Amino acid sequence: MRALVVDDFATMRKIIKNVLQKINITDVIEAENGVNALALLKREHTDLIISDWIMPEMTGIDFLKACKDDETIKHIPFIMVTAEAQKECIMEAIKSGVDNYIVKPFTPEKLQGAIEKARERAAK
Amino acid sequence: MDVKYVNPFVAATRAVFKTMLGIDVSMDKPRIKGDKMAFGDVTGVMGLVGDKKGTVSISFTQKGALFAYKTLVGDDGNGMSPEVIDAIGELTNIISGQARKELENAGINLKASIPTVVVGKEVQLHFVCAFPIVSLPFHFSTDNGQEAVYVDFSLE
Repeated sequence: MRALVVDDFATMRKIIKNVLQKINITDVIEAENGVNALALLKREHTDLIISDWIMPEMTGIDFLKACKDDETIKHIPFIMVTAEAQKECIMEAIKSGVDNYIVKPFTPEKLQGAIEKARERAAK
Repeated sequence: MDVKYVNPFVAATRAVFKTMLGIDVSMDKPRIKGDKMAFGDVTGVMGLVGDKKGTVSISFTQKGALFAYKTLVGDDGNGMSPEVIDAIGELTNIISGQARKELENAGINLKASIPTVVVGKEVQLHFVCAFPIVSLPFHFSTDNGQEAVYVDFSLE
C-alpha cells in the first residue's frame, strides 16, 4: 500500500511516516500542501491519503473537496489527521466526504484502525 | 484561577505527552505568572479566539526539546534546527487542540492561530490580555535526568 502524507510541517510528516512504518506501511510519498498533493496525485499511484487540516495555499478541507470532486481520485480513502477536535470541524469534514478523521495525539493502533475503517468506507 | 480553564490544559498536556511521546509528566503547583520571561529556550505560542480570547505558550529547555524531538521522530536533533523547532510548534498545536476540545465540553468554543515558535534564552513574551497568566509547571524524565516544560495561558 502506498500512502500520501500531506502536512505543511516537515516534522509532522516524519512523525506520521514513523507511525505508518510501525504498522507496516513503508511506501510513503509526501506533499507540503493540498496544491502540491493534487499535482502528485495526477502522476503517482496512491492507495491512501492522510492530510492535515490547517495548511497554507490550500486547506485540508479544500484539498478533501477537490479530491472527492475528481472522478479519477475520489475512490482513494482520505483520512484527516488534525489537532482540530471540535465538533463543527469534524462535521464539516464528514459533510465534505472524509472517510475517517483522527484527532492528534494518536497512537499507531488508532491510526491503523482509522485506515481500516477508511478503506471500508471508501470501498462502498 | 478557575479550574474549569486550568484542567483542560493539564489534561491536554498529560494526554499529548503520554500518547505521542510515551512520557508521564508530573505537575507542580500551578501559579500566577509574575513575570514576562519565557521559561525555556524554545517556546511555542498560539493565539486563541472565540467565546474567550487569549494566548497559550509551551516552553521547553533545549535539552527537553531535543529529547521530545528524538522521541517523536527517532532522529537526534541537531541543536535548534528547523525540524526541532517544527516539532515544538506541532506539540504546541496538538496540546492547544486537545485543551480546546476539553473546553468545548465545558461550553467554551475557541479557535487557535497557527503556532509561532520563539527561540532564545531570556525571551520576554507579552500576552496582551487583561487577565493573569496561569503557569503550569510540568516535569518529565529523560535519559539525562529531569526536564521541565511550562504551559502558560491566559483567557479573557
